[in-house]
Amino acid sequence: MSDLLQQIADCIKAGKIDRASPYPPEMSGQDGADELTRQALDTGMTVDQILEQGLMAGMDKVGQAFRDNIIFVPQVLMSARAMSAAMEHLKPHFASGASERKGTFIIGTVQGDLHDIGKNLVAMMVEGNGYEVVDLGVDVTAETFIDAAREHPDSVIGLSCLLTTTMPAMQRIVSAIKQADPSQIVCIGGAPVHQGFAEQIGADRYAPDPQGAVEFLNSVH
Amino acid sequence: MRGRELIRSAFSREQVDRIPWVPFVGVHAAQLLGITAREYLQSADHIVGGVGRAVERYSPDGIPVVFDLQIEAEALGCQLVWGDDNPPAVVSHPLLEGVQLDCLKIPDIDDGRIDLVMQATMRLREKHPELALYGLVTGPFTLALHLMGTDIFMQIMLDPAQIHQLLRFTTDVAGSMAKRYIEAGADVIAVVDPMTSQIDPMSFETFVTPYVTEINQDIRQAGALSSFFVCGNARQNIEAMCRTKPDNISIDENIPLDFVRDTALAHDVSFGGNIKLTVALLLGDEDTCRRDALECMDMGGRKGFVLAPGCDLAMATPVENLVAVAELVHDEDLQGELRASEAVTVDIELPDLSGHWDEDRVVIDVITLDSSSCAPCQYMVNAAQRAAEPFEDRVICQEHPIKRTEGVQMMMALGVRNLPTIVMDGDIEFASRIPPISDIERKIGEHLAAKAKGAA
Repeated sequence: MSDLLQQIADCIKAGKIDRASPYPPEMSGQDGADELTRQALDTGMTVDQILEQGLMAGMDKVGQAFRDNIIFVPQVLMSARAMSAAMEHLKPHFASGASERKGTFIIGTVQGDLHDIGKNLVAMMVEGNGYEVVDLGVDVTAETFIDAAREHPDSVIGLSCLLTTTMPAMQRIVSAIKQADPSQIVCIGGAPVHQGFAEQIGADRYAPDPQGAVEFLNSVH
Repeated sequence: MRGRELIRSAFSREQVDRIPWVPFVGVHAAQLLGITAREYLQSADHIVGGVGRAVERYSPDGIPVVFDLQIEAEALGCQLVWGDDNPPAVVSHPLLEGVQLDCLKIPDIDDGRIDLVMQATMRLREKHPELALYGLVTGPFTLALHLMGTDIFMQIMLDPAQIHQLLRFTTDVAGSMAKRYIEAGADVIAVVDPMTSQIDPMSFETFVTPYVTEINQDIRQAGALSSFFVCGNARQNIEAMCRTKPDNISIDENIPLDFVRDTALAHDVSFGGNIKLTVALLLGDEDTCRRDALECMDMGGRKGFVLAPGCDLAMATPVENLVAVAELVHDEDLQGELRASEAVTVDIELPDLSGHWDEDRVVIDVITLDSSSCAPCQYMVNAAQRAAEPFEDRVICQEHPIKRTEGVQMMMALGVRNLPTIVMDGDIEFASRIPPISDIERKIGEHLAAKAKGAA
């Protein structure tokens, strides 16, 4: 791997957005994911190369460190921000078909629940890992999920909830989605839920954290 | 001994005759009154009536006045959206919308619902003099998040000085609320800061520790007790939570109770938790709830432990499930009977396991009460089976329900103490809590790799 790609991966892992960003202090004054991605394109590297060996390589390490409780939400968000800065340079190339998305992930917080922190984190990580994300927002009804799934065939639906009080809504929504299309894959996440609950309500998978959602998507695509 | 006296003993980590019980009744009380959460949380009469109803049904030693972490945020100008069966949610963040921190003032009694809540506290104090009343205060970090939105997670990295100013303010708000609650008659001030579960220990030490330590100290000086509540998986911060010197920490089912017990007691802090809110209380039956509560009680012990649900009860939690736990708490005979139904008799002969293991294959033994009647056991067995599937014949997976003698023999031979437990090649890998399937798969992979290495 070239030094430049390695540096991009390091910036994603460390959450170094651009030269001006003060975080992390030990990289102060250095180029960040923003500048380095620009440079990589200028030197003729392909979008796929930068995406796979720079951004994804960095994001994989972020996911692993998050899973291992070495880093937490603030650090992941900084990495996601660095990733977005780099993606801005790559995006124009996606539209031309230079690189394809791995699949579609429909996400929303269930009806009655207006909390979006967890959902946004998962959406950022999933998008950062090469999926198209359809974010339906918060307080989403079963009908909205079902309509979105019809619009995006072969997608995976992710349901989020923060409140114990909206877990029954999650149960209702999963069963409505499965009734509309038994083959529709649904995963769930959120502070009060767990694998046991996923099995109980007929969801295909519980993801304990954003990385879990990414791994699940990778396993079904 | 009962009520506030018992809570005080438990918080002081004295040996108690009976484990105190604090059901975190929040909007669940609206169900008891047959009204919506919206109606409930906006009326002192309803709160007094609802808590009174919960006291009658659940015979608690302590109970929160209200469980609503939006009260301070609302008083500071955050917009709320109300639901029928949930506490309201904050949907606007003033500091994101152009309001300057300097313009925010510590709320007056007349702001938002503060007066209503304090009136309810005073009336409950009068009606239930024996009960430990918990006044819940939004923790400084969570209140800061209400005011600033999720941006706070990045701003702690990019502009720490600004965040410290914000936390100074939210700490003063929390301090003022704690003071009001204590004056109104609350015995315990619970600083509820769930958002801290999302940050790393170093950020916690920097952005939470100094502020919550100060609040705990002020509570103590005012003669009340402090409890630090963090719902969510805050395992990484349990030790730091204890170092803020609260009288008690309360945690949810994401964190194993034995880990919390050992950490808290080592820091001279009492602890509470963590009956499973959902699989047991909300969705399970009475038997599941009793068994889960008993497991918590046996693990928590009679020194420094308060039995409580993991977090606030879902509104729809079946009344009979909470009644079942309340009966168990107050009935030692029932506890004994339940224990005996699970207990292992001593004269059981240990089986010879020499033929049980396999050189090439991973042997998974799932020890359960009985997966056909115990919901957590069923999930544990399913999880193990699903994790084993991709490995096909390289894994042997079997359940040993201890309702049968064979199961009891296996449990003893393998040294298993919690149910359900997954044992791989004789090593206890997952006890009590159902792990994600990917974790089980990873463990199977490790065992297979160890075998391959051994063979080579």
